[in-house]
Amino acid sequence: MSEGPLLSESELLAAEHALGVLTARERADAEARMAREPAFAAEVESWRMRFAPMVETVEPVPAPGEAWARIERRLPANDNSNNRVLVKRLRFWRGTTVGSLGLAAASLAAAVMLGNQPPVVIQPPEPEPLLNVSMGPDGAQPLFIASYDPLRKTLIVTSLQPQGSDPLHVYQLWLIPSDGKPRAVGFVDPGKSKSIQMPQEFTPLAGAGAALAVSIEAPGGSTTEKGPQGPIAAAGKLAQI
Amino acid sequence: MAIALNDTLAPLLPRIAGGDRGALRQLYEATSAKLFGVCLRILSDKEESEDVLQEVYLTIWRRADRFDSARASVMTWASTIARNRAIDRLRARGPLAHADQVDEMEIADGAVGAEALLAAAGEDARLHRCLGELDNRTEQAIRTAFFEGVTYEALARRMAPPLGTVKSWIRRGLTKLKGCLEA
Repeated sequence: MSEGPLLSESELLAAEHALGVLTARERADAEARMAREPAFAAEVESWRMRFAPMVETVEPVPAPGEAWARIERRLPANDNSNNRVLVKRLRFWRGTTVGSLGLAAASLAAAVMLGNQPPVVIQPPEPEPLLNVSMGPDGAQPLFIASYDPLRKTLIVTSLQPQGSDPLHVYQLWLIPSDGKPRAVGFVDPGKSKSIQMPQEFTPLAGAGAALAVSIEAPGGSTTEKGPQGPIAAAGKLAQI
Repeated sequence: MAIALNDTLAPLLPRIAGGDRGALRQLYEATSAKLFGVCLRILSDKEESEDVLQEVYLTIWRRADRFDSARASVMTWASTIARNRAIDRLRARGPLAHADQVDEMEIADGAVGAEALLAAAGEDARLHRCLGELDNRTEQAIRTAFFEGVTYEALARRMAPPLGTVKSWIRRGLTKLKGCLEA
């Protein structure tokens, strides 16, 4: 077989990420890069498709009989369309134009994990319950989890990324209430937890159904009040557990 | 990459994206044995595999609108989701779980023949032919990495040569593989 054309370092990294040989830290860096660089995300996707036939050759094994019933019980109302609206809004606020390839990659990266939300339990209103959200790229494990205490007006947010990953960027946290306008509420450091006091003027907006999102920004964060300038790494809606 | 021209499952995806549970059920009936097989191959544990299988169909339910029939068949797309979720689960077991599976390399050896035979019948024969053109240890390293999500470091521990050597085998293999797939 011919050696083939030499692959660029970036394409080798895309192939290695698709194959799964990177360490946890390198994987997190690659995921962040996919969110920032649609071209890199497309390379990873192409390599996933190249490797896919390996998976298809596995022998089928009948799934346990009760598996379907369990899946059906867990099906949430389908909120794909809501995801798209939220992502569209965020993209609007980014104020950038991207080509169709970029759109596909960005929608992968900016996907919202609404479907993973636990069902909302209706409770008597006495002690205001905590609102929780897990944020991640769709179909993947969450990258951030957050819990908001409406009584103390405090948001506790935890990054599940490896500590110290992606040192060249900052992760900015946004509150997006029902009016769809993002409000910057602070920053999250990879691998760390922090408590953020919700700014007074935002507290009426931070209720169940409001979304939280994390964008990847240059150091210092987005320079406009209007919303994120970098890609959205993760988003999700606040809900009571 | 092979694209199925008459992918009979493709029309189900827009219906699933629109919230049609019956369509998901049809997809489940057509694909669950394959996807369960993928989970079992990676996790070697029935209960965990069923757990992951549920997550896979919930993921399909949410992501059906992103399926692009120009890029892959439904089976390829769904199998890739199953592989990725199973690998996530495997990694969540922690680094020890990988270290414990040293003997599995031999099992994988036997499986390659069967896989290659099966694949030869389909459009995916090309990947298998190209993998087959790599030297044995590189092919083995790539297959093991793919099915077990092991890092370069874990591969090196298993296959004995130094880390740098395994890394350069695989990188050279990936370069050859792309050349062969695009030839």
